[in-house]
Parts: sequence; structure tokens; C-alpha cells
Amino acid sequence: MKQGLPTRLLLYASVILTCAVLIFPIYWLVVTALSQPDQLRQLPPKFWPDEPRWSVFSKILDERPIFLWLSNSALAALGAVTISMVVSVLAGYSLSRFRVRGGQSLGLFILTAKMLPATLLVIPLFGIFRMTGLIGSMWSIILAHATLIIPFTTWMLKGYFDTIPRELEQAAMVDGCSPLGALFRVILPVSAPGLAATALYGFVLSWSDYAYARTFLTNAQGNWTANLGITTMKGEYISNWADISAASILVALPILAVYLFLERYLVGGLTAGSDK
Amino acid sequence: MAGIVIDQVRKSYGALTVLKDFSLDIADGEFVVLVGPSGCGKSTMLKILAGLEEASAGTIRIGGRDVTDLAPGDRDIAMVFQNYALYPHLTVASNMGFGLRMRGTPADIITRRVQDAARILDVEHLLERRPRQLSGGQRQRVALGRAIVREPQAFLMDEPLSNLDAKLRVHMRAEIGALHQRLGVTTIYVTHDQIEAMTMANRIVIMRDGEIQQIADPETMFERPANLFVAGFIGSPGMNFLTARAQDGTAHLFGEVVPVPPGADGTITVGLRPEHIEIGPGVVTFMARPSLVESLGSEKYIYFEAPEDNRAPGFLTRSEEDRRGDRLIARLINSGPVKIGEFVTLSFNPARLHVFDAASGRAIR
Repeated sequence: MKQGLPTRLLLYASVILTCAVLIFPIYWLVVTALSQPDQLRQLPPKFWPDEPRWSVFSKILDERPIFLWLSNSALAALGAVTISMVVSVLAGYSLSRFRVRGGQSLGLFILTAKMLPATLLVIPLFGIFRMTGLIGSMWSIILAHATLIIPFTTWMLKGYFDTIPRELEQAAMVDGCSPLGALFRVILPVSAPGLAATALYGFVLSWSDYAYARTFLTNAQGNWTANLGITTMKGEYISNWADISAASILVALPILAVYLFLERYLVGGLTAGSDK
Repeated sequence: MAGIVIDQVRKSYGALTVLKDFSLDIADGEFVVLVGPSGCGKSTMLKILAGLEEASAGTIRIGGRDVTDLAPGDRDIAMVFQNYALYPHLTVASNMGFGLRMRGTPADIITRRVQDAARILDVEHLLERRPRQLSGGQRQRVALGRAIVREPQAFLMDEPLSNLDAKLRVHMRAEIGALHQRLGVTTIYVTHDQIEAMTMANRIVIMRDGEIQQIADPETMFERPANLFVAGFIGSPGMNFLTARAQDGTAHLFGEVVPVPPGADGTITVGLRPEHIEIGPGVVTFMARPSLVESLGSEKYIYFEAPEDNRAPGFLTRSEEDRRGDRLIARLINSGPVKIGEFVTLSFNPARLHVFDAASGRAIR
């Protein structure tokens, strides 16, 4: 259907406005990082500094253990995503394919866990980790993030597996695969876009966590994640927002890299051609 | 290659029984078609044969070996699915060789067998493509190729042509028939299309509500249907049904006395195939006023009302889509002009009539 000029103008205006709203905070983060600290509060605000401070990034890298924080964040996210994917692939596939007594209730129960606020789980998790001696270790944050990620990724993957024709694994089984063999040889390769989207979601969730890291890792300075580390840059009386913004940009870059890496898998349509 | 023996197989989901004591002996190399309306249990039976569904009772033997409790991969059968079920992440060659790879067949033998199957099915030029790059007909060939490279004891085919357009379906029907002639592998084919069943099968098994209605070769199925359901299901257009009262070996149809089998007594249902009605006078002649005339060139379908005394109940119809308790069809070849609303002389030979008990629906001969 051909759209009229007013409709198209309205559509483009909406897209531009949405993009502006989404991009402006990132743009302002960059402006803040590159501005002199005394220019940040001036009125009217400057939308681009006269002399951008590009050296702020190397200064931050020299002064703070950014790479250690980033590697801790990466370790926590990779660990949590690995555990979550193993559990949620098997759980999501079971919920999608097997009809068992109480299966639906179990599925809803898993989803309910996602509806609980993350902070509600902090206290019981703290108790468990203290008893098991995990407070301060990277395992505490990996397991805590996995508890956050698994409920939602299980449902995401269940929904994805539901869209894959059952005949694919039936064909694999007739061809000689066991049920698990059909899952690993046929269903998972076909599910690459769903797996990539789910893994990305889990990675972002873990990467952006602050509350769990603050609770479980405060006294283990060597295990601080990036988000926890950045908050320590905020002083009690004076905060250098330019430095904090620069550190935030450095911390956001890995997520961008992960997205670019997974993007080719995120495009749908891999199952095209399997059936009619 | 092997014969298949299905003995008293039943499938229930709780209180619901979808397959009732299904028994069938299939000879080595035979092409058997399971046919019936949706929900009759034909696909369930095929899945039980493949090992994809568990039977609630009964046994299955393939080549004399009891396979009832074996996994699908251990039954030495190959299956072609309605939606082809090609592995989208693999090339055509890998799709076709997948089953052999799973069985640890050496790579050189896989390559040779895939090449051979591709040559038979004329897909050699497609071997490096992925399924999404193929047309519907090509996908169908690849699905067949995946089945034949395994050289299994039996082929199971679950409505493999139902996703193709009408022209391609006719073409592939002939190809599957030719493939069966060439390979001689025992084949069980499921369809809801009675034309596929009639044109491809050595024997047809007609099913309804999980029960076998009749097992026979296509000609017997058409000429001697066991009951009203079979009579209505086989043939296109479907058989006309009329109600009459039989007494002393005769019944009144279209106001004429016609002979019926001696076993017929009381209310009977009489079946008359559209192609057995002729234009012009004959053994039993009657006048009809067409309410609709469909011309297909050399033949015409003439729709007219059944006499009030002979109207069959509405449920005695070929299918749900073709509900016409009071309307009859005549299929006339080279009849000349026939106009809607103008009386035309028609006739039939009573020897061609099919007589059924009105209460049980069973054929009376």
C-alpha cells in the first residue's frame, strides 16, 4: 500500500525523535567526558567542548585498574551466561517438546522467579554464599547473575524452540540420532539466532549489574567488576564527572563489541527452507 | 527390503483411543497407501511404525524382526515428511548423507551413494545448495533422496505431496511411482487424497476414526466398497446416495422398479456413481432438471434434485465439504448441450448400483 506524504513525514519525524531520545544521553556522556570539569555546569551548556580532552581516556587507564575491572566483569558475564545457557537450553527444550504432568505449572513457576525484584534475592543469596564461603569470590557473582538470567532465558528459548518444526528432530531420530543427538546436531545449529539473542540478553544483564556486585564483592577489591569500580570514582564531596563519564564509555565498549560479534547470528531466517 | 506385519496396534491418550486394533500384513516390495479424512489416525499409525510414537498395545515386525520397542534409528526405515524436514543448516549433499554419517558409514561410500541418489532424482546440480535456495519440488526430491541413500528396508511417507501445487503434485506422484518400481522398496504412504491413493497404491487401507474400513486394491475399492463410508470416500465426484425400501428383491428408484440383491430388505441406501449415469434412455430411464451444469470441455457435471421419495439423509455424503443429501451429480461424457432448468433424459444400469444396509451402512451383495 502506498503511503501519502503526510503519513511518511509523520513516520520519519517519529523515527528521528525516537533516535534523538535514545542517542542524546550517549552523546552527552561523550561531551561530558571530553569537557574540562569546570565547563560541565556552565549555562548555557556547550554542546561540544572548545578543546576536547582526548587524553582523559589514557589518564583513566593510568590511574584506575580499568582493565582488571573489565576482565572481572567479562569473567562474571561469561561464567553466568555459560551456566545460564546450558541450563536454559535444556529446560527450554524440555518445556517446548515434552508434555509432562505439571510441566506447564513448572514453566510458569520459573517465569515467576523472573518477576521477583533482583534486590529481593540479595539477602537469601548473601546467606547462602556466606554459609558456603563464596562471599568475595567471583563464583558468588557468577551464580547470582545466573539466578537472574536463567528464568527469562529459559522462556526466551522455549518460545524459540516452539517455532522450530518438530519434524526436524523426528527426521534426525529416524536418521539415527538419539533425542539428545537430535538436539545438539540439528536443533541447536538451527537455533543460532535464538541462542545469540538469549546469550546477548544474559551478557547485558550481568554486565550492567551493580546491586549484587556491591553486596557480594565490596570487600574483595581485586574482584571488583567495572560497574562497582566506577562507583568508587565518585568522591564524598567532589566527583569528577568527566573522568566517570570517560570510564563509563570504556566500560560500554565491550558490550558494543559483543553485539557486533553476535549480530550476524541475530538475524532470523536460518530455518528458512527446512519445510514448505 | 522387507515385509511389515502390524498386529493389533492400538494408541490411546488417556480415555481417548485414536487407533483401534490396527492389523495389516504388508508384503515385501508392496506400495500400501493409508488414506482417510483428517484425524482418522493414519499419520499416528505411520509415526508408530517409525518409532516416533509409542504404541499403547500391539506389535510391529519389519523383515521378521520385532521392532515395537526399538528407537526410530534402529528400525532401518526412512521417512519422508509432509513439510520435508530438511536440515536448514546443511547443504543438500550433507542432508542426504546425514543418516549414513550417523551410522558411521565411510566418507567415500557416503559420497558415492549421495551421487547415485542425486542422479536418480536429478538433483546433482543442487548438491552444494542449502534448502532455502531450493524450490518446493526440489526440496521434495532432496527429501526423497535423503530417504533412498540409506537403502532402508521400508519407506514411510507422510503426505509428501500435500505442499506442492496441483501440477507439480501430479508430476511428483508419477515420479514416486516410478521410483518405487525402480527400487522395489516396501512403501507405506499416508495421504488424505483419494486420487493419490487410487493412482499409486498396490493396496489401499481406508481409515476412519482410528478404525480400518476396508483393505483392498484400488479397483476392488472402487467397484466393491465395503460400506457407505468407503463408497463415499473413493471416487471423484463422490457417489450419489438414494434411500429406498426393498421388498422381494426390488426397490423403487426414480419411480421405476429396479432389482436389488436378495439380501436387501427394508430401508436401504442405494449408491450410484456419477459416471454410471448416462444421457438418453437406458435400462432405467428418468427425467431430470439440472440446477447447475459445470462444463469441463469433453465432460459435464450435471447437478439435479433427487426424487422426494429417494432423498438420502444429509450425512450420507462423500465429505463434509460436499454435503448434498438432496442433490445428485451425473458425469456425462460428450453429452451435447445441456441447459439449466430444461428437462433432460438420463438413465442408468441397475447392475451398477451399490446397495447398503441403511442402519449399519454395510454393503449388501
